[in-house]
Amino acid sequence: MALLEVEGLTVEFGSVATPLTAVDDVDLSIDAGEIVGCVGESGSGKSVTALALMGLVDFPGRVRARRMVFDGRELLSLSDAERRALTGKDIAMIFQDPLASLNPCFSVAFQLTETLRMHGTPEERGSARLRRARALELLQQVEIPDPTARLAAFPHQLSGGMAQRVMIAMAIACNPRLLIADEPTTALDVTVQAQVLDLLLRLQQERGMALLLITHDLAVVAETAQRVIVMYAGEQVETGPVPEIFDTPQHPYTRALLDALPEHNLDRARLKAIPGVVPGQYDRPAGCLLSPRCDFALARCSIDRPPLDGPAGRKVRCHFALDAAGRPTHGWSEEAAAGAVADTR
Amino acid sequence: MSAAAPLLEVDRLARHYAVSRGAFRAKAVVRALDGVSFTVHAGETLAVVGESGCGKSTLARQVTMIERPTSGAMKIDGIDVVDADKATLKRLRPTVQMVFQNPYASLNPRKKVGTLLEEPLAINAALGTAARRAAAQAMMAKVGLRPEHYRRYPHMFSGGQRQRIAVARALMLHPKLVVADEPVSALDVSIQAQVLNLMMDLQQEMGIAYLFISHNLQVVRHIADAIAVMYLGKIVEYGPKADVFARPAHPYTRSLLASTPRLRRDASRTGTPVSTTVDAPGRARAAIRGEPPSPLSQPSGCAFHKRCPYAIERCRIEVPPLEPLGAVLVACHRAADIDR
Repeated sequence: MALLEVEGLTVEFGSVATPLTAVDDVDLSIDAGEIVGCVGESGSGKSVTALALMGLVDFPGRVRARRMVFDGRELLSLSDAERRALTGKDIAMIFQDPLASLNPCFSVAFQLTETLRMHGTPEERGSARLRRARALELLQQVEIPDPTARLAAFPHQLSGGMAQRVMIAMAIACNPRLLIADEPTTALDVTVQAQVLDLLLRLQQERGMALLLITHDLAVVAETAQRVIVMYAGEQVETGPVPEIFDTPQHPYTRALLDALPEHNLDRARLKAIPGVVPGQYDRPAGCLLSPRCDFALARCSIDRPPLDGPAGRKVRCHFALDAAGRPTHGWSEEAAAGAVADTR
Repeated sequence: MSAAAPLLEVDRLARHYAVSRGAFRAKAVVRALDGVSFTVHAGETLAVVGESGCGKSTLARQVTMIERPTSGAMKIDGIDVVDADKATLKRLRPTVQMVFQNPYASLNPRKKVGTLLEEPLAINAALGTAARRAAAQAMMAKVGLRPEHYRRYPHMFSGGQRQRIAVARALMLHPKLVVADEPVSALDVSIQAQVLNLMMDLQQEMGIAYLFISHNLQVVRHIADAIAVMYLGKIVEYGPKADVFARPAHPYTRSLLASTPRLRRDASRTGTPVSTTVDAPGRARAAIRGEPPSPLSQPSGCAFHKRCPYAIERCRIEVPPLEPLGAVLVACHRAADIDR
């Protein structure tokens, strides 16, 4: 059974009458010890999904889901105290900007032991000395040089890479079953990014944690994750195993995103760009959200929003999902496409 | 192209900053830029690559004449700028313009797009209002902005469109050289492609040279003609793009390339998608340990020796000079020994 099973996760902000839907009907399941990547551009709802899983979406944000089960417990029916006991212990999170996430007023030792004081074993909660020893051990595990000296350091004395290691140490302090990493390496330099990713993967394997890796960097997901969820404008547009998504993307958005990478345009002078921008709150199309930017959109696409469809574990939200050669299927034709373009003009 | 006189000629350029370490201690010197030499020809793109703190942005400040270098020589269009008087600098400034990293911060939120684009002309050109307006609208058409955008404020635009405005503003004075400091790193992948295409189209059309500062090697690989890799204020490898990517000579360049996440590893080695397999999850990829040292306490000898897997005793003592090796210049004692 999956460690985390979420069905129909929806997060809304703003008034009830005209809500801003940040996350729209997202299904997600993560097995114990599995790495799932979640990719999308800014505004696609990746981070809000993570916050909703952590229970960190505050009023006036509204989180709804048909099912949100972690380890056999329904998260949305827990009391606030029960949820707090879970958050930070069994589900932990690492944020994008480590220097902004650490409290500048407290030392590394204080912030590390705080987690243990709240969520640790009864012995750890009872003994400051034990907590300090554990903190030292954690810093060693995340490979911080000179850990004894670093315990007394304040966040401004740490480099970006070191601060992210401290964040990871805090997250793994209570042996979480699920670690959510929201853009863990985006703020870091490329050589340090590789080191932090290696560290995360090593810890994930040693501890058998499940890892939800949220990033905009497709290459990071290609190198680390087993399954991937592609999000666009708050919706899940495609999901499946990493090799399949990267080799034979079925959704035109996934394909266009991959084609826009300089890496896929080595012999070409121009990059294949996606025209237009991600729709905002007020210009969400009635049909498929990608339809104004899609190369293959037909008249039907701008009226009728496609469902997330496909075999278990390989779903795509498109009326005319692409085949292995990158051509639309399900009765799509050049003539109809030409007609659709003529209609809109 | 190399026969013509270079547009930008930089020779052993250095910029040091004195920083206070408290009232009772002597001031420390940060060698942000420490003897950098390169040339850029008209219509060419030189990419400057390196991690934070390596002096990329300090270099941009010298080339755009925002600051005066501590020592060294720099010629723009054949005119020396290090010892130039104010009048010469004022005359030269229109030839070098800049595009900044974050288009959310680099555009004045209280000015309309039209005003932003016309401001360089109002300061540097003797044009009437109508002529300025016509020039701004012509430039807007060139970078793909619609005429009605002329009266809008920056907050009404998305990140990609704002970067178009920033590019348009930099080009208003028809510069010969545009210094672009991480122009696409704040943008999403799909938008990044749009802005890179725009920059390359404009280069073709107007013959601009770019000094393209970036940490993203995949982007650099797409846009650059030549590459300079910087580490702690010095250039450690400098050469044509194809050579640097095909046979990286400096251990630091190699580790940068190895650290960059890739969709398909073997494809990017050879330049053609050979295999469609994706790497097995969990592969170790960190090529080097540690982080770049602070420019305040530079190591002796080669600045990279503490992180370098090939370091020998000599690297600890002696600073390696930038010397030719094959088609590139490289600053490494062991470059010739390392099996490539």
